[in-house]
Amino acid sequence: MDNVITKSPSDSMFVCHHCDALQRTPEIEPGSTINCGCCGSSLFRVSSGTLDKPLALIMASMIIFVIANIYPIMTLTMVGVSQSATITGTALTFLNQGNPELAAVIWLPSVLIPGVIICGLFYVLFSIRYQMNWRYTRPILIWVSRLLPWGMMDVFFLGILVALVKLVDLADIILGLGFYAFLALIFVYAFTISTLNIHALWDDMDPVPEPSH
Amino acid sequence: MNNKILRAKELGIAGCHACGQVVDMQSLDVAKCPRCDSVVHFRKHNSINRSWAFLISAFIMYIPANTEPMMRTTSLGNESADTIMAGVIYFLSHGDWPLALVIFAASVMLPLLKIMAIAYILISIQRGSSIRKSENTRLYNLAEVLGRWSMLDVFVVGLIATLVQLGELTTIMPGAACMAFAAMVVLTMVAEMVLDPKLIWDQVELPNRVN
Repeated sequence: MDNVITKSPSDSMFVCHHCDALQRTPEIEPGSTINCGCCGSSLFRVSSGTLDKPLALIMASMIIFVIANIYPIMTLTMVGVSQSATITGTALTFLNQGNPELAAVIWLPSVLIPGVIICGLFYVLFSIRYQMNWRYTRPILIWVSRLLPWGMMDVFFLGILVALVKLVDLADIILGLGFYAFLALIFVYAFTISTLNIHALWDDMDPVPEPSH
Repeated sequence: MNNKILRAKELGIAGCHACGQVVDMQSLDVAKCPRCDSVVHFRKHNSINRSWAFLISAFIMYIPANTEPMMRTTSLGNESADTIMAGVIYFLSHGDWPLALVIFAASVMLPLLKIMAIAYILISIQRGSSIRKSENTRLYNLAEVLGRWSMLDVFVVGLIATLVQLGELTTIMPGAACMAFAAMVVLTMVAEMVLDPKLIWDQVELPNRVN
């Protein structure tokens, strides 16, 4: 029972997930984006060779992620009273005020989900790059793809900027190490995600298995 | 170009949502992806009804998100509450129009436009409209990319409320609109995710099959 149509990456068909047009993967430069020939949606990038670059970037993201979350983003001083905020600290404040829903709405998209995505991608990339065939590679890759739209570090960073402008007239503000780390993080993270092609990762993981029986 | 396009569904083929594998459905409605073991459908299950349900809930949440206060400020015993529009007007009156524009666009315009865009696509699908399929797909893609930026104001209030905790002097607390707002953003995102954009293309008369 052969229900696998794709035989090898050189002879691959794909289905546009926006308009269901079946088409052959065009021969294009590695690293460029494939657009659907029917509806024009940009679909995926052709992977540009090895996984070394995404792996290096994801490791950099992990390190910066830790720094951005440990150190305060900013410290506000008003008539001698200082108050500083880390992202997790923000969520904890609301948790202590008896507002756990708000704590979750802030903490999940800005800390937990990006953290899970970064660690998950590291696991998957390391497993594929060094042919470790770790056991949870497939489910983790599926979950990472599902979580991607829910990571909102970039939106949170714009939030930091707006909060800064709002508070700057009101009090003295000192930007912390967390702020600069966060700034670096959103660039490194966005670059990492843009160099990755989740579909190609599946191709790299294994040549499509031979049909059973 | 147009007469070369084959719809996978017409050929009994579907693309796996999780890994992109092209799967022969063997005339079944549901199959297992041979590569990543996810469930593969031709179209997302009950897509239109579910999308409407989430969209209408999102619209209901949009109302308190804009009428209830986003922040409650207590300053030396005086309490004041600000809605999103009050914040926008405050910045406008202080000549800070770029900031007013960012907040207005992300918190007021964007969610409403996204809700209208999804409603428009749903109605087009239900009426079997066969025009502007590419435009509707582009609209869907745009809604997908931009929707999450509406979360902006929730984060802003979160940060400000954490930083401005100066006891008797000034304390800022998040208002009721915060949760309504967050719920609205999440619901519109889910409405867009359960809507299958392939439905936009399903009413196309079968083109001549070349290939």
